[in-house]
Amino acid sequence: MTTTPTPRFQVGDQVTVRDATTMFHTRTQGYVRGHTGTVTEHRPAWIVPEDEAFGIIENGRYTPFYVVRFKQTDLWPDYTGFEVDTLETECSELWLEPAGKEKK
Amino acid sequence: MASTPTQYDSFQRQAANLTPADRLPLDSPYEISNELYGLLRKVLHDLGGQPDTPVPFTEKGEEDWEMNTYLTCECLGWRGVWNSEERRRRENDLGATQYFGLPYYARWITTAAKALVDRGLITTDELGRKMDEVRARLEGQRS
Amino acid sequence: MSTTHSHAPLKESPLTEFEVLELAVRELAIEKGLFSADDHRRFAEWAESRTYTVGSRMVARSWLDPAFKERLLRDGTETSKEVGVDWLQPTGQGTPSDYTYFYVLENTPKLHNVIVCTLCSCYPRPVLGMSPDWYRTPNYRRRMVRWPRQVLAEFGLHLPPDVEVRVHDSNQKSRFMVMPMRPEGTEGWSEDQLAAIVTRDCLIGVALPRADVTASQVPKQPKGRNGGNKR
Repeated sequence: MTTTPTPRFQVGDQVTVRDATTMFHTRTQGYVRGHTGTVTEHRPAWIVPEDEAFGIIENGRYTPFYVVRFKQTDLWPDYTGFEVDTLETECSELWLEPAGKEKK
Repeated sequence: MASTPTQYDSFQRQAANLTPADRLPLDSPYEISNELYGLLRKVLHDLGGQPDTPVPFTEKGEEDWEMNTYLTCECLGWRGVWNSEERRRRENDLGATQYFGLPYYARWITTAAKALVDRGLITTDELGRKMDEVRARLEGQRS
Repeated sequence: MSTTHSHAPLKESPLTEFEVLELAVRELAIEKGLFSADDHRRFAEWAESRTYTVGSRMVARSWLDPAFKERLLRDGTETSKEVGVDWLQPTGQGTPSDYTYFYVLENTPKLHNVIVCTLCSCYPRPVLGMSPDWYRTPNYRRRMVRWPRQVLAEFGLHLPPDVEVRVHDSNQKSRFMVMPMRPEGTEGWSEDQLAAIVTRDCLIGVALPRADVTASQVPKQPKGRNGGNKR
């Protein structure tokens, strides 16, 4: 927990959010799961919320976090805005795969 | 979990339909479909993209109990009793009726009380007695 | 907003069960030594002194001082200190709910930023104060990520097709504030004059500053929408 883990992804990388079954608390929104976006920034490493939410701090998984940018037209079937519109949100490394690895 | 945008849209429309205002009749059914189980176990706070109708975006300042709830919950975090992500998880654990039925800060203070009970820091009867005492005291002050 | 901590003066408002529950939890926590009454008082002093006018000040100064703007965009947390906000306060480690990572999102002629937290209501309290009630509603959280232009239109903000609307779903430890563009008609204005037109809604991204609208013209938040739960 004291050492900063080396980020697996770099700014500009295409990443796909894992589409995993979740039984309980998570902060990875359903609407980004299975979708591919671009890493735009690194964020400081932190305990993943799936551990923190259950009070698991000392032994919590400490991972890099990333800002991922998505095209709105990729996320929603009937997006009523314009092609240029985007959405950014943050993901722990636990939830990300290199784009193309995860089959839709 | 649905994978394509269209499937997810369908999923979220049904999830939105579970809120108290407009809900499916659920009465501890003997069996349910996997699809319905998927909807029921979805973490409640993940509601981005659920259709809803426009409403007036009202302004409202904090009432005393709301600000005090924020402060009490933050002090519990500050002094290491819990953390704010645990609070958010506990809000989800309230279940849909309370999650959507309670005002924002009422969700907070309800989870704070439950967290203290779960940790054995207070007992439920102690909490009930304290509430009765506080209610009587405040009513006395205001009568 | 000045008497929200303990020993509020007697008042006429009806007693709510939420008030009873909060005070019961607080008194039990203090009796058990989980935190002290002084902790609560200190946090209250800090929380009650939070106001979005600090955010307005940061934007106005950025419009006038490119070096400040560069620092603010590069390191929002550190640069907040220049306007008197230390994200480590009031605990020495930040607030439990908002912690200490602050990022400022710059609007450009081709980019408009807007903030939502679909999962709860993450909000940069240290620089904007307590969040508005509408920001916390499931309605705003449901719709802003998917129908941003419609929701912005409901706030009176219509953006042209060639402006990218970028929604920031604030879902982890970062907290955000929007830096709008300086509007026309403000040439030669002082920092105070400029700060006065940067309303809270501009800093969330649901409004744009206008030379003819100051924060003092925006309706004040009435205390209590419905008095909480009625007994």
